Amino acid sequence: MSAQFATKRLGKELQKIRNSRLPPGIELVSAENLEEWLLDIQVLDDNPLYQNQTYRLKFRFGSTYPIEPPEVVFVKLSDRPIPMHPHIYSNGIICLDLLGQQGWSPVQNVESVCMSLQSMLTGNSKNERPPGDDDFVRANQLRPKDIEFYYHDNTV
Amino acid sequence: MKVKIKRWNGVATWRWDIPEDDVCGICQVHFDGTCPTCKYPGDDCSLLSGKCGHNFHMHCILEWIKQDSAKGQCPMCRQRFEWTEQPNDMSMDTTHAPPEI
Repeated sequence: MSAQFATKRLGKELQKIRNSRLPPGIELVSAENLEEWLLDIQVLDDNPLYQNQTYRLKFRFGSTYPIEPPEVVFVKLSDRPIPMHPHIYSNGIICLDLLGQQGWSPVQNVESVCMSLQSMLTGNSKNERPPGDDDFVRANQLRPKDIEFYYHDNTV
Repeated sequence: MKVKIKRWNGVATWRWDIPEDDVCGICQVHFDGTCPTCKYPGDDCSLLSGKCGHNFHMHCILEWIKQDSAKGQCPMCRQRFEWTEQPNDMSMDTTHAPPEI
Protein backbone atom coordinates (compact mmCIF):
# COMPACT_ATOMS: atom_id res chain seq x y z
CA MET A 1 0.00 0.00 0.00
CA SER A 2 1.41 3.39 -0.92
CA ALA A 3 1.93 6.20 1.57
CA GLN A 4 -0.28 8.29 -0.69
CA PHE A 5 -3.25 6.39 0.62
CA ALA A 6 -2.84 7.78 4.14
CA THR A 7 -2.00 11.27 2.89
CA LYS A 8 -5.04 11.49 0.66
CA ARG A 9 -7.39 10.08 3.23
CA LEU A 10 -6.15 12.52 5.91
CA GLY A 11 -6.46 15.36 3.42
CA LYS A 12 -10.10 14.39 2.89
CA GLU A 13 -10.74 14.29 6.63
CA LEU A 14 -9.15 17.70 7.11
CA GLN A 15 -11.17 19.16 4.28
CA LYS A 16 -14.37 17.79 5.77
CA ILE A 17 -13.54 19.14 9.24
CA ARG A 18 -12.77 22.59 7.81
CA ASN A 19 -15.96 22.64 5.72
CA SER A 20 -18.47 21.35 8.21
CA ARG A 21 -16.88 21.63 11.68
CA LEU A 22 -16.61 18.94 14.32
CA PRO A 23 -19.37 17.85 16.73
CA PRO A 24 -19.79 19.80 19.99
CA GLY A 25 -16.99 19.28 22.50
CA ILE A 26 -14.40 18.35 19.86
CA GLU A 27 -11.93 20.85 18.48
CA LEU A 28 -9.03 20.56 16.12
CA VAL A 29 -5.99 22.24 17.70
CA SER A 30 -3.42 21.58 15.02
CA ALA A 31 -2.98 19.50 11.90
CA GLU A 32 0.12 21.08 10.45
CA ASN A 33 1.24 17.90 8.83
CA LEU A 34 -0.36 14.62 7.96
CA GLU A 35 1.51 12.66 10.61
CA GLU A 36 0.45 14.17 13.89
CA TRP A 37 -2.74 16.00 14.84
CA LEU A 38 -3.80 17.51 18.16
CA LEU A 39 -7.41 17.74 19.25
CA ASP A 40 -9.18 18.93 22.38
CA ILE A 41 -12.18 17.11 23.72
CA GLN A 42 -14.67 17.92 26.45
CA VAL A 43 -17.40 15.89 28.09
CA LEU A 44 -20.58 17.86 27.67
CA ASP A 45 -22.97 16.19 30.08
CA ASP A 46 -22.90 16.73 33.83
CA ASN A 47 -20.65 13.80 34.76
CA PRO A 48 -18.87 15.29 37.82
CA LEU A 49 -15.59 13.51 36.97
CA TYR A 50 -15.01 15.56 33.86
CA GLN A 51 -16.94 18.80 34.33
CA ASN A 52 -15.30 22.00 33.14
CA GLN A 53 -12.23 20.17 31.89
CA THR A 54 -10.64 20.03 28.50
CA TYR A 55 -8.44 17.13 27.46
CA ARG A 56 -5.75 17.14 24.78
CA LEU A 57 -5.46 14.20 22.41
CA LYS A 58 -2.52 13.42 20.16
CA PHE A 59 -3.11 11.34 17.02
CA ARG A 60 -0.17 9.85 15.15
CA PHE A 61 -0.81 8.34 11.75
CA GLY A 62 1.37 5.80 10.05
CA SER A 63 1.60 5.29 6.30
CA THR A 64 -0.84 2.40 6.66
CA TYR A 65 -3.68 4.54 8.02
CA PRO A 66 -6.65 3.88 7.80
CA ILE A 67 -6.01 0.20 7.19
CA GLU A 68 -4.24 0.23 10.56
CA PRO A 69 -5.38 2.37 13.50
CA PRO A 70 -3.74 5.66 14.45
CA GLU A 71 -1.90 5.89 17.75
CA VAL A 72 -4.03 7.99 20.10
CA VAL A 73 -2.94 9.20 23.55
CA PHE A 74 -3.98 11.90 26.00
CA VAL A 75 -1.30 14.55 26.51
CA LYS A 76 -0.74 16.29 29.84
CA LEU A 77 -0.32 20.07 29.85
CA SER A 78 -0.69 22.62 32.66
CA ASP A 79 -4.34 23.17 31.72
CA ARG A 80 -5.00 19.75 30.18
CA PRO A 81 -5.08 16.91 32.73
CA ILE A 82 -5.26 13.20 31.89
CA PRO A 83 -8.88 12.15 32.45
CA MET A 84 -9.56 9.73 35.28
CA HIS A 85 -10.81 6.42 33.88
CA PRO A 86 -10.18 2.72 34.60
CA HIS A 87 -8.90 2.32 31.01
CA ILE A 88 -6.70 5.42 30.84
CA TYR A 89 -3.23 5.25 32.36
CA SER A 90 -1.85 8.34 34.07
CA ASN A 91 0.70 8.75 31.25
CA GLY A 92 -2.14 9.20 28.79
CA ILE A 93 -2.12 5.73 27.22
CA ILE A 94 -5.63 4.58 26.40
CA CYS A 95 -6.83 1.03 26.47
CA LEU A 96 -9.74 0.92 24.02
CA ASP A 97 -10.50 -1.98 21.68
CA LEU A 98 -11.37 0.41 18.86
CA LEU A 99 -7.76 1.63 18.82
CA GLY A 100 -6.23 -1.84 18.74
CA GLN A 101 -5.74 -4.18 15.81
CA GLN A 102 -8.71 -6.24 16.94
CA GLY A 103 -11.32 -3.53 17.20
CA TRP A 104 -10.22 -1.10 14.51
CA SER A 105 -12.06 -0.67 11.22
CA PRO A 106 -10.88 1.50 8.32
CA VAL A 107 -14.23 3.29 8.23
CA GLN A 108 -13.37 4.88 11.58
CA ASN A 109 -11.83 8.33 11.41
CA VAL A 110 -10.47 11.08 13.65
CA GLU A 111 -13.94 12.40 14.36
CA SER A 112 -15.43 9.01 15.20
CA VAL A 113 -12.49 8.15 17.49
CA CYS A 114 -12.95 11.44 19.37
CA MET A 115 -16.66 10.74 19.73
CA SER A 116 -15.95 7.24 21.05
CA LEU A 117 -13.55 8.69 23.62
CA GLN A 118 -16.13 11.29 24.64
CA SER A 119 -18.70 8.57 25.20
CA MET A 120 -16.16 6.36 26.97
CA LEU A 121 -15.72 9.21 29.49
CA THR A 122 -19.41 10.13 29.64
CA GLY A 123 -20.38 6.62 30.57
CA ASN A 124 -17.82 6.23 33.33
CA SER A 125 -18.53 6.74 37.03
CA LYS A 126 -15.33 5.28 38.49
CA ASN A 127 -12.76 7.76 39.71
CA GLU A 128 -9.98 5.22 39.16
CA ARG A 129 -6.88 4.41 37.13
CA PRO A 130 -6.32 0.95 35.63
CA PRO A 131 -4.93 -1.67 38.05
CA GLY A 132 -1.13 -1.53 38.11
CA ASP A 133 -1.03 2.04 36.81
CA ASP A 134 2.06 3.04 38.86
CA ASP A 135 4.13 0.08 37.68
CA PHE A 136 2.98 0.40 34.09
CA VAL A 137 3.73 4.11 33.90
CA ARG A 138 7.16 3.63 35.49
CA ALA A 139 8.22 0.64 33.41
CA ASN A 140 6.54 0.99 30.04
CA GLN A 141 8.85 1.72 27.13
CA LEU A 142 6.56 0.47 24.42
CA ARG A 143 4.55 2.47 21.96
CA PRO A 144 0.80 2.06 22.55
CA LYS A 145 0.36 -0.05 19.42
CA ASP A 146 2.89 -2.59 20.67
CA ILE A 147 1.25 -3.11 24.02
CA GLU A 148 -0.87 -6.20 24.51
CA PHE A 149 -3.59 -4.84 26.73
CA TYR A 150 -5.13 -7.15 29.19
CA TYR A 151 -8.67 -6.07 29.83
CA HIS A 152 -9.08 -6.32 33.59
CA ASP A 153 -12.62 -5.17 33.63
CA ASN A 154 -14.69 -5.36 30.48
CA THR A 155 -17.70 -3.83 32.12
CA VAL A 156 -16.38 -0.29 31.80
CA MET B 1 -31.27 29.49 -42.68
CA LYS B 2 -29.62 26.23 -43.42
CA VAL B 3 -27.12 24.82 -40.99
CA LYS B 4 -24.65 22.25 -42.03
CA ILE B 5 -22.94 20.36 -39.24
CA LYS B 6 -19.37 19.81 -40.21
CA ARG B 7 -18.06 18.31 -37.02
CA TRP B 8 -19.45 17.31 -33.65
CA ASN B 9 -18.12 15.96 -30.39
CA GLY B 10 -20.14 13.63 -28.25
CA VAL B 11 -20.00 14.24 -24.50
CA ALA B 12 -21.30 11.82 -21.89
CA THR B 13 -21.29 11.60 -18.12
CA TRP B 14 -21.40 8.45 -16.12
CA ARG B 15 -21.84 7.24 -12.61
CA TRP B 16 -21.71 3.88 -10.93
CA ASP B 17 -25.04 2.14 -10.86
CA ILE B 18 -25.42 2.03 -7.10
CA PRO B 19 -28.27 3.41 -5.01
CA GLU B 20 -26.29 5.57 -2.63
CA ASP B 21 -24.61 8.73 -3.72
CA ASP B 22 -21.83 8.44 -1.26
CA VAL B 23 -18.14 8.11 -0.51
CA CYS B 24 -16.10 4.96 -0.05
CA GLY B 25 -15.90 4.47 3.71
CA ILE B 26 -12.25 3.48 3.54
CA CYS B 27 -10.69 6.28 1.50
CA GLN B 28 -13.54 8.82 1.92
CA VAL B 29 -13.43 9.59 -1.79
CA HIS B 30 -16.64 9.66 -3.79
CA PHE B 31 -17.44 6.35 -5.49
CA ASP B 32 -17.25 8.01 -8.89
CA GLY B 33 -13.70 9.13 -8.10
CA THR B 34 -10.70 6.85 -7.83
CA CYS B 35 -9.19 5.16 -4.83
CA PRO B 36 -6.06 6.98 -3.59
CA THR B 37 -3.72 4.84 -5.66
CA CYS B 38 -5.41 5.15 -9.05
CA LYS B 39 -5.42 7.93 -11.57
CA TYR B 40 -8.43 7.18 -13.74
CA PRO B 41 -11.93 6.42 -12.43
CA GLY B 42 -14.18 3.89 -14.05
CA ASP B 43 -13.30 0.39 -15.10
CA ASP B 44 -9.68 0.78 -14.00
CA CYS B 45 -10.79 1.45 -10.44
CA SER B 46 -14.04 -0.39 -10.00
CA LEU B 47 -16.28 -0.93 -7.03
CA LEU B 48 -16.90 -4.08 -5.10
CA SER B 49 -20.31 -4.64 -3.55
CA GLY B 50 -20.71 -6.87 -0.53
CA LYS B 51 -23.65 -9.19 0.00
CA CYS B 52 -24.15 -7.21 3.22
CA GLY B 53 -25.06 -4.20 1.08
CA HIS B 54 -21.90 -2.14 1.54
CA ASN B 55 -19.84 -0.86 -1.37
CA PHE B 56 -16.17 0.10 -1.54
CA HIS B 57 -13.55 0.83 -4.16
CA MET B 58 -12.19 -2.59 -5.01
CA HIS B 59 -8.61 -1.53 -4.31
CA CYS B 60 -9.59 -0.14 -0.89
CA ILE B 61 -11.50 -3.17 0.34
CA LEU B 62 -8.78 -5.53 -0.89
CA GLU B 63 -6.16 -3.60 1.14
CA TRP B 64 -8.33 -4.20 4.18
CA ILE B 65 -9.30 -7.81 3.52
CA LYS B 66 -5.68 -8.91 3.10
CA GLN B 67 -4.93 -7.82 6.70
CA ASP B 68 -5.13 -10.62 9.27
CA SER B 69 -6.90 -8.29 11.65
CA ALA B 70 -9.71 -7.79 9.14
CA LYS B 71 -10.79 -11.39 9.72
CA GLY B 72 -12.56 -11.22 6.38
CA GLN B 73 -15.15 -8.83 7.75
CA CYS B 74 -16.90 -5.87 6.19
CA PRO B 75 -15.49 -2.67 7.75
CA MET B 76 -19.01 -1.28 8.06
CA CYS B 77 -21.01 -4.07 9.64
CA ARG B 78 -18.42 -6.73 10.52
CA GLN B 79 -20.36 -9.42 8.69
CA ARG B 80 -18.31 -11.70 6.52
CA PHE B 81 -17.45 -9.72 3.40
CA GLU B 82 -18.52 -11.64 0.32
CA TRP B 83 -18.84 -9.76 -2.89
CA THR B 84 -21.66 -10.01 -5.36
CA GLU B 85 -21.29 -10.20 -9.10
CA GLN B 86 -23.67 -7.33 -9.60
CA PRO B 87 -23.93 -3.96 -7.87
CA ASN B 88 -26.33 -3.90 -4.96
CA ASP B 89 -29.29 -2.22 -6.59
CA MET B 90 -29.69 -4.75 -9.37
CA SER B 91 -32.99 -6.46 -8.87
CA MET B 92 -31.93 -9.65 -10.56
CA ASP B 93 -30.94 -12.50 -8.35
CA THR B 94 -27.18 -12.74 -8.33
CA THR B 95 -26.89 -15.94 -6.38
CA HIS B 96 -26.65 -18.82 -8.71
CA ALA B 97 -28.23 -22.11 -7.83
CA PRO B 98 -25.76 -24.96 -7.55
CA PRO B 99 -25.63 -27.12 -10.67
CA GLU B 100 -27.80 -30.15 -10.54
CA ILE B 101 -26.10 -33.47 -10.78
